[in-house]
Formats: sequence, C-alpha cells, structure tokens
Amino acid sequence: MHLRMGIRALTLAMVGAFVVSACGGTNETSGNKAPADKQVLNVNDGTEPNSYDPTQQTYTYEAGIGREVFETLLKPNAQGTDVQPAAASSFDVSSDGLTYTFHLRSGAKWSDGQPVKAADWVYGYQHLLNPALAAGYVDPFFDTTIKGADSYASVDVANAGAIDTFLQGLGLAAPDDNTFTITLQHPAAFFKWVVTLWVAEPIRKDIVEKAAGGSFPSSDTTKPEIWAQKAETIIGQGPFKIQEIAPKDHVTLVPNPNYWGGAPSLQKITEWFIEDANTAYAKYQTGDLDAITVPLANVDTVRSDPKLSKEAKVYPKLTTFWMTFNAMKSPLNNPDVRMAFAKSIDRDKLNKQVQHDIQQTILSFIPKGMAGYDDSNKAQAFDAAAAKALLQKAGVTADQLNKFKLLTRNTTRSKTLNGFIVDQWNTNLGLNMQLDVIDSKTVTSRIRKSNFDIYGPDGWGADYPDQQDWFDIFFTNSCGSLNWGCVQKAGGLKGYDELVQKADTELDQNQRNADYKTAQDQLINEAVVAFLFQDYEYNLIKPYVAGLTITAGDDQSLPGNFFWHDAYITQH
Amino acid sequence: MAVIAGRPKRGALLPVGLTRLTESRAGSLAFYVVRRVLWMIPVVFFVIVITFVLMHSAQGSPWDKAGGRQLSDVVIRNLNEKYGLNKPVFEQFFLYIWNVLHFDFGLSYQYQGKTVVELIGGGWPYTATIGVLAFLLIVPVGVGLGILAALRQNTRVDYATMGFATFAASFPNFVIGALMVVFFSVLMYKWTGGDFFLPAGGWGVDDHLIMPAVTLALLPIAYTARLTRASTLETIRQDYIRTAWAKGLPERLVVIRHVLKNSLIPVVTTLGPTFAFLVTGSVIVETVFTIPGIGRAFVVAVTSRDYPMILGTTVLFSVVIAVANLVVDVLYVFIDPRVRLS
Amino acid sequence: MAVATVEQAVRDWEVAEEQVGLWQDAWVRFRRNRLAVFGAGLVLFLIVVAVASPLLVNLGILKNPFTQHVDSIQTAPGVNGFALGTDILGRDTLSRLMIGSAVSLTVGLLVQGIIFPIGLTIGLTAGYFGGRVDNLLMRFTDIWYAFPDLLFVLVVVSVWHLDGPWFIQLIPIFGAIALVNWVNLARLVRGQVLSIKEKEYIEAARSSGSTPVKLILKHLLPNSLGPIIVTLTFGIPQAIFLEAVLSFLGVGIRPPQPTWGQMVYDGYEAIYANPTAVVFPALAIGFTLLSFTFIGDGLRDALDPRMRR
Repeated sequence: MHLRMGIRALTLAMVGAFVVSACGGTNETSGNKAPADKQVLNVNDGTEPNSYDPTQQTYTYEAGIGREVFETLLKPNAQGTDVQPAAASSFDVSSDGLTYTFHLRSGAKWSDGQPVKAADWVYGYQHLLNPALAAGYVDPFFDTTIKGADSYASVDVANAGAIDTFLQGLGLAAPDDNTFTITLQHPAAFFKWVVTLWVAEPIRKDIVEKAAGGSFPSSDTTKPEIWAQKAETIIGQGPFKIQEIAPKDHVTLVPNPNYWGGAPSLQKITEWFIEDANTAYAKYQTGDLDAITVPLANVDTVRSDPKLSKEAKVYPKLTTFWMTFNAMKSPLNNPDVRMAFAKSIDRDKLNKQVQHDIQQTILSFIPKGMAGYDDSNKAQAFDAAAAKALLQKAGVTADQLNKFKLLTRNTTRSKTLNGFIVDQWNTNLGLNMQLDVIDSKTVTSRIRKSNFDIYGPDGWGADYPDQQDWFDIFFTNSCGSLNWGCVQKAGGLKGYDELVQKADTELDQNQRNADYKTAQDQLINEAVVAFLFQDYEYNLIKPYVAGLTITAGDDQSLPGNFFWHDAYITQH
Repeated sequence: MAVIAGRPKRGALLPVGLTRLTESRAGSLAFYVVRRVLWMIPVVFFVIVITFVLMHSAQGSPWDKAGGRQLSDVVIRNLNEKYGLNKPVFEQFFLYIWNVLHFDFGLSYQYQGKTVVELIGGGWPYTATIGVLAFLLIVPVGVGLGILAALRQNTRVDYATMGFATFAASFPNFVIGALMVVFFSVLMYKWTGGDFFLPAGGWGVDDHLIMPAVTLALLPIAYTARLTRASTLETIRQDYIRTAWAKGLPERLVVIRHVLKNSLIPVVTTLGPTFAFLVTGSVIVETVFTIPGIGRAFVVAVTSRDYPMILGTTVLFSVVIAVANLVVDVLYVFIDPRVRLS
Repeated sequence: MAVATVEQAVRDWEVAEEQVGLWQDAWVRFRRNRLAVFGAGLVLFLIVVAVASPLLVNLGILKNPFTQHVDSIQTAPGVNGFALGTDILGRDTLSRLMIGSAVSLTVGLLVQGIIFPIGLTIGLTAGYFGGRVDNLLMRFTDIWYAFPDLLFVLVVVSVWHLDGPWFIQLIPIFGAIALVNWVNLARLVRGQVLSIKEKEYIEAARSSGSTPVKLILKHLLPNSLGPIIVTLTFGIPQAIFLEAVLSFLGVGIRPPQPTWGQMVYDGYEAIYANPTAVVFPALAIGFTLLSFTFIGDGLRDALDPRMRR
C-alpha cells in the first residue's frame, strides 16, 4: 500500500503525519441522530486523487474515495481477521483451490438504477488488467494469480488485437447475471484478500463507451478514462456517489439511494484536499473538519488540552517502519554489521520521546493486529555494548563506515527521525556518519539503482491483512524495486524465496503461519532491515461523529472509512 | 512628414499613411509594443528548450513513487509508451513544439486524462484573484508608506515603516500565514465562542480572501515601501525640487507634480515582475490556505516530474513575465517622457 | 595664454579636490550618522558572535548545538536550563542560533556580493547603450525570469555534490542563488539609467568629453545607489531563506549543521506547539536585516554627491 510519509517538500506543505491497543473499535456515542440536514461529515483526504477510476488508483488518498463510490466483492472484517461479504453475498472455492465462484447480491443496483450484472465485473477486471492502461496495482496481485494474466508483461500494447486476445483469455467468466467466476493459475490462499483491493471493481461498459463517444480499440489509452473525469459519469455501486468534484479543493459524496444495503445515514461527506497539516489542525478547531490526524509536533499540546484530549484517539495501522541497508556495499553484506546498526538504536527514546509515544516499538516484521504478529524474537533489541562487539567481531573499523551516508527524503518527519538515528549510530558505535537529504523522487530513483548506502525510514503498509502481501517484498527479484537491500545478491536469506512461495500457495493456514514465522525469523536474525516502529495514527474526531467502525486498514486520516455506511452524526 | 532630400527615412518604403504613424509618438510606441510582442516568441522558445533539457536531465522519473509499493517494470514500460516517453528526446521535443503550435500542451502525467490547458486554465482564476487583490494592496500601501517615510525622514513615521518592513522581510510568508491563521482563526474562534473569526483557509469570494491576500502582500509592501522611500529621497534632493520648495509651493503639489513621477521608475520596475509572480501564484500561500490555484502547480509538477505540466506552467510564467516587463517599459515612457525606448 | 592657464589651474584644483575629497568625505559623513554607526556596531556584534560561538561551545559556556536531549523536546524558553528552549530533537535553540550565525551571515552577504557586480554590469550596459544591446540583454533577462530554477537545482543536485565543511558545501548554493537572483537588480539599474541618461547634466558631462565609463561611474551610479542598496539589503533574508529551500532539495548545507533559514522551516511544523522555534531565528534574521538597513541608509547618505555641496 502506498505510503505518504509526511508531505513533500520545498517550502511547501509540511505535514507530519500519529495508546490504545484495541485494534479496531467502534466509536460509541450515546445521543440521538441529528436531523438529516446535519448529517454532514467533513474529512481531510489530504491530496487530490490522480484518477477517479478505481482500477487506476494506487494511493491511499485515492482509495479513500474509490472505496465509497464502488464496492468490492469482499471486504476485510472490522477485526482484520478474515474477509466478509460485500458486493458478493457469498463465495465458494473449488477443492483444488483454482476456481473462485462469487455469488453476487441479487437486486444490487448501480447508482443510476441499473442492475449490477456479472458481466460488469468481468469488464471491470478486464479494464484493470488492460496492459495499455498500465494500472499500478495489477502487478503482482492480479497478473500472478488470475489464469492467463501471466503473459501481461509480454502483450504488445500498441496492438489492439493482441490486447483483446489477452483479455479474452483471462480466467474471468459470468455464467449468469449473478455469478462471477475467477480461475487462478495456481492455488493461492490469499486470493480472497486480493479481491478486497479497492481496484478490483465492476465498471459499466456502456457508460465508458458513451463517455468516449462510442466503442474504441483496446489499445486506446485516453478514451477509456473519459468517463472518470466528470462526476455525472462516475457511476458506482458503493454506498455513496460523487455529487461534485471541485478540482484541488474537495469532493462531495452523497448517498447512493440504490445501494443494496440501504441508503447510509450520512447525507453528505465532503473529502477535502488540505495538504498542510497545520491548516487542517486549525480547521478542526474552527469546526470546518470533523476528523483529522494530529501533526506529530502538536501531540503534546493536544494531550494537555482539556477539551481536545477527550476527542483524541490513537489507532494502530498495519504499517511497520524500518531502516534499509544496501547489502551490495561492503561491509553491509555482513549480517553482523547490519545487526550492529540495528542494535544501536534506542527505540525507546525514538518512539516514546521523539515520536511522542504515538508510534510503538517493534522488533519484528508483521505489525500487531494481523495474523503473524509475533514479538518473541528480540534479536534486534537495543544493546549498545553488544552492537560494538558485533562490529569488532566483524573486524570493521569506523573509517570504513564513516564514508556511508544515510539517504533521507526531504520531509520533516524523515529528517527528524534520521537526525535522531544517525546521532544514535554515531554516539553508540563511535562513528561520524552524515545525512544526505534529497528530494523524494531522486531518492526513489537512487534506491532503485542501488545508489545508496543506508536508507530510511522506509516501511510497508498492508494492502490486506495477509502475510503474503508482506513477505513478497523481500523476494530476490524485487531487488531494485521493493527489496532495496538486495540481501540475496550478497548471499543472504538462503532459501527464503522458496519458503515464502510455498507459504503463499499453501492452503493450510497453520502451515502457512509456521512457514512465514520461519521466514520472519530469518529477516530479523540476519538484520535484513532494522525494524523500528509500528505506525499508529493519533486522530482527533469530533464527539458528535458516531457509529464509526475504525479498523487498522482504514485509509490515511479517514477513520472508519471502510464502514462509513453506518456512521451518523448525533445531535449537538 | 516630407522626405528629407537625399536621405531615405526609416519606413520610406512604407505607404505614406503608415510612415506618418510610425513617426508620431503614439505610433512609434505602438510599433515598439508590436516588436516586443514578436520578441516574446524566441524568448518563450528558449525557455522551452532550457526547460526540456533540464527536465530530462533531472534524476527520477514520473513513475517513481515516493514510498511504498513501486510500479513494476512492465507497468512503467507501458506508461512510457502511453505518454511517448520511450521516444528519443529530440523527437519528443519536436513533437511538443508541433503540438504547442496547435495550442495542445499535452496531458498531465499526474492527473489522468486531464489536459495541461484544462488544469492550468481551471486553477488560474483562483490564483489570479488573490494575486490581483494582493497587488491592489501593495501599490497604494507600499508606495504611500514609502513616500511618507521619505518626506518625514528620520522621524517616528520613518522608523515605524522601517520596523514594519524589517519584520515583514524576516519571516517567510508561510510563517506569517500560519501565525495569522493561529491568531485570526483559531484563537478568535476560541475567544468569541465561534461567532467571529476568519476561515482557516479554503476558497470563497468573501472573507476567505483576506488572509491569503494580506500574507502575499506583506513582503512586497515592505520592499516597495523601502524602495519608494529610497528613490523619493534621491528625487527630493534634486535641485529643481529644492527650487520648488524655495518658491514656496505647497508640499502636496510638489509631491504630486514632481516627486512622484520621478521617483517611480525603480518602483515600477520591480512592481512589474512582482505582479507577474503574484498572478502566477505563490506555492506557500496556496498550500497554507488551500487555494485551488496553480501556484503549487509548478512545484508539484517538478517534484513529481510531470513533464507536460512543468512545461505548461513555465510557458505561462514566461509569457506573463514578458508581458509584465513590456508594460513596465511602456510605463517608463509615460512616467518620464525623456526615456527613449529603442 | 593667461586665461588658459587659469582655467587649467581651476581644473587641476577641482580634480585634486575630487580625488582627496570623495571617500574621506563619505567616511566622515558616515561616522556622523548615528544610526549608521549603530548598524555597523550591530554587524560587528554579529560577526563576533559568529566567530566566538564555536569557542564558547568548546569552553562549555554554550551548550553543544548538536547534542539531542530527547527528554526535553520542543520546550519553551527557560525550561530545563535551555535559555531559548529546544527544537524538535531536543537541541538547544540558543546555541544553534549562535553557531548558525556564521553560515547564515555568509550566505546572506556573500550572495549579494555576487549579485551586485553581475546585476550592476548588465543593468548599466543595457541602460547606457540602449538599442540592440538593451533589447538583447533584456530578452536574456526575460528568459532568466522564467527560468525553472527549482528544476535547475534538482539537476545540479544530481551532478554536483560537494562534501566537506559548511563553507565548501556553500559553493553550489551561492551559485544557485546568485544565478537566479541577479535579474531584479539588473532591471532596476537599467531603469534608473534609462531615466537619468537623458538628463541635462549628463548631456553636459558627455559634451565635455567624459568617457562612457567615467560617465557611468561618476554620474549614473551615484544617483541610482539608493534603490540598489535597498535591493541588496532585502536580498539578505531572501538568500537566507533560499538556502533553506535549497537544502530541502539536497543542495548545500546538510543537517545537523544549523542555519537560520532551516531553523525557521523546521520550526514551522511545530508552530502551534512551539512558536518560539520559528520566532527566534526569524528575529535573528530581522536583526541582521535591520543592521544592514541602517548601514545601507548611512552609506547612501554618505556617498550622495549632492550632499557635498
């Protein structure tokens, strides 16, 4: 899941983006419902979406809207432990694990009143998988799972015929209006989670073609997106629909009267695009916003404010942060050296002080709140003496390490955290390392080319609460795109790929858990990365916002947005 | 308008009517303006060339994400194909110029399906409104304070102006903006129980415009005031002004008739580019006050490597600045009739 | 013969008077201007602070600006023994201000030192020669105004990465800032020259045989000084902030070296919780600007040829 760790730079917006241990919880408020004209929710989505076509969306701020206007076949339940029915009332998996049959809700309608048909689902998935449109989330979720999609990379996007052949050859079928089947290349226990991704939505072929002025060849890259430009043509089957789009300003959502679950209580949700966290904070205090994420710098002020402290809540996210080492640069190829770095960071100080006790220390990979969380392996715990000893054992001198720079993105958060971390390394290991603060895109470009020494804080947010989504990051072939450390190239993580792939395709959950645990221990013990903290969001929510079901998977700064259908405003 | 014997006059090949036109003052001015407008073409062209080269030299591609899941190689390859980025740079350049001549500035990489013209055209009115408002504040306040300070040199008024100018210049405008929001929005909301406060940002043709315009205007007011003061002081010391004082003419008359005109040249010189910058937007003010304008457009385009938007905003800005400088040069002639433009 | 001799003598005497008089005169007038002297004193104070603060840190009188006291993050002035409070990583604001003064002063001043000759030369040339020269130079200026400086800096980052102590890291910054900011001065000077060069006394000087250079330096320049000085003094805080912006992009001063500009930028995020983190560095910048304003005013008064009469 794409993270926005603080906002990008320049003079621009500085945003930062963080007690409770319950993962997910309902916001119970006693109080009667306010009259219909007061059922208005104002939230801050942060950044304007790059596209309103859900299949093309890749960021959490886009999902924050896509999720309301469209509905996936299944969705994660509030606790994140399993999936629950959404647009599909039930589903079966064949005994060989290759065929998924989704039974769509009968009577479900689009926001313009048309019935939702299985053919719409087929069209939606094909739209997503059209190589010419280059949707960001296709790989690896859909092209490595759906039958026929494995040739995604080799389709000639200029050739409409080739694209059509590819799309027709996908394992997607609509045997009748209420049944949608997906056939896989191989069994995948996690596939039920893949269909919960907000990009996997049905699309109305007639709307797309009407907006484009008629049918068009599959290789066309602009016509298939025209429908997503205007509010009137963005027709979805989710609980809400878009009433208006004010570019760079806000999006207004109103109830979809034809939603199968009945119209929501909220009569209007305005998602604003306020990039500056201080401005959002001011707007919360003047009543223009009903929920915000408190900028890190203001956490203490909120805590000591008698009124605001009552409205503030901490919510865990399924996101872990760590520091990455470029294992292809000696001596970082030596796990002892990496472990020395990992063990010389005082995470207590980092998280309790610098991060104001919002983020919580974690020494392992999988965050608390999803299956696979296990804090028993404390190999990376802070121990300055042991860290020094490791360096000595490895025979590494300070000079060898002092030439390394800590690559830092130019956001306030990154600069602050890295300022602390490099100071820890210098103090505890007797080094004199420097920061290298650079523009964000350049950083990404450099790490893709492995042109860095140490980099961070980087992290991963769950796309869905299944471990497959996590462990795949460190595959050998992700070197240069997600596995920045490329530890396998330096000879580490032996057997990791095979182990994880086995766990991915295994159908027995217990066996999967055991295999993933072994892989996690490998990551920790070899200090592939230095785990730092799990991300928590410190949010202010107005007391009159009720019926919120907050989950660890909620989109950034939009508490409870997976279940806004049930939210309402109380009298105030 | 007779032709002087033996020496063909400029424009002697033109029909007589046109010759009369170019020889009159208004005519030569008009001619000058036309020539300047034509010169804008090579200027904009060079700007495009430079921007193109720089854009493609900067590290990082439009498809690198700032964090989390990166796009796979396949997707990147297909995206490059979609937007023509896989062609050689020369070809991309010529294609771009060709399209620009047809007024097609391309599609944004960031906002799928939206054209650059649409994005810039949609955001510009907001930016321009705030910019113009700020400018309407800057001119009277800045020039007025400056003249006042000069006429009352070394008095309290002068020192007060200097103090204000120093304050305005030592705080970058996002800090001033944020402080204004703290005071006029949050604190005032608290103190008046929500009755009377300025909105903490956002767009509206009402009190939403006050804080952004004032924030934008502060530093230019400070600079304009000090500049006007300095220039006025130079003018006041001229002999002919002393003569006017000596003759006993009332201060106001002297100021308006003589001082103002002559001290305005440097002021007008800086007000031109100031107007251009104001009207094409300030990143900071638009971010802090969430104005949906184009001020951020250039910066965001650069940081996300949205090439068509980078080019589009740069072209817009170069045109605006060229026009502003042209207006300034023309104003010189009106302010000081002795100025000769070539 | 006698008349010629007398004329010659008068001319000689005038020349002599000029050569002796101009600078000494100016210095005497400057000294007499109380505000100007006060300004100079303030600048001297700043320089002393800049030079002495590393020493004070070594002697232990001033807290180390790099030490992170994470249990005292973002404290208000006076709390826990930090005279001006601490920043987001618990570093002492007072010592960061003092240590950072050297960098910020250098940036602020030296950049003007680069802008001044570039802008002045181009402006004078364009204004004096007019015609095609003016047109070409001014169109060049137009291109430069529209120059995508942010982009340019990004490219510089990838190409030019200097390492070492802060004054080495500063070199690309000087280049970047100066490269971009000379245009205003050039246009200003040109405007002045255009309006002055047609005046009668210039005509007189020209007809009396002065060379263009002499004309420019003796007559045009002194009469345009006021606005030039204002522009240069305002350029100081501008340059300081620009340094902070550039460091955001990876050009120039790396953390943890404190600079006033970066302190203001870093403090912005905490402006609600800890406004002093922004206010103090801004005050330091304002203090510097004020001192140079006084000096600038004094300088202009001192050098004004009309005051000599």
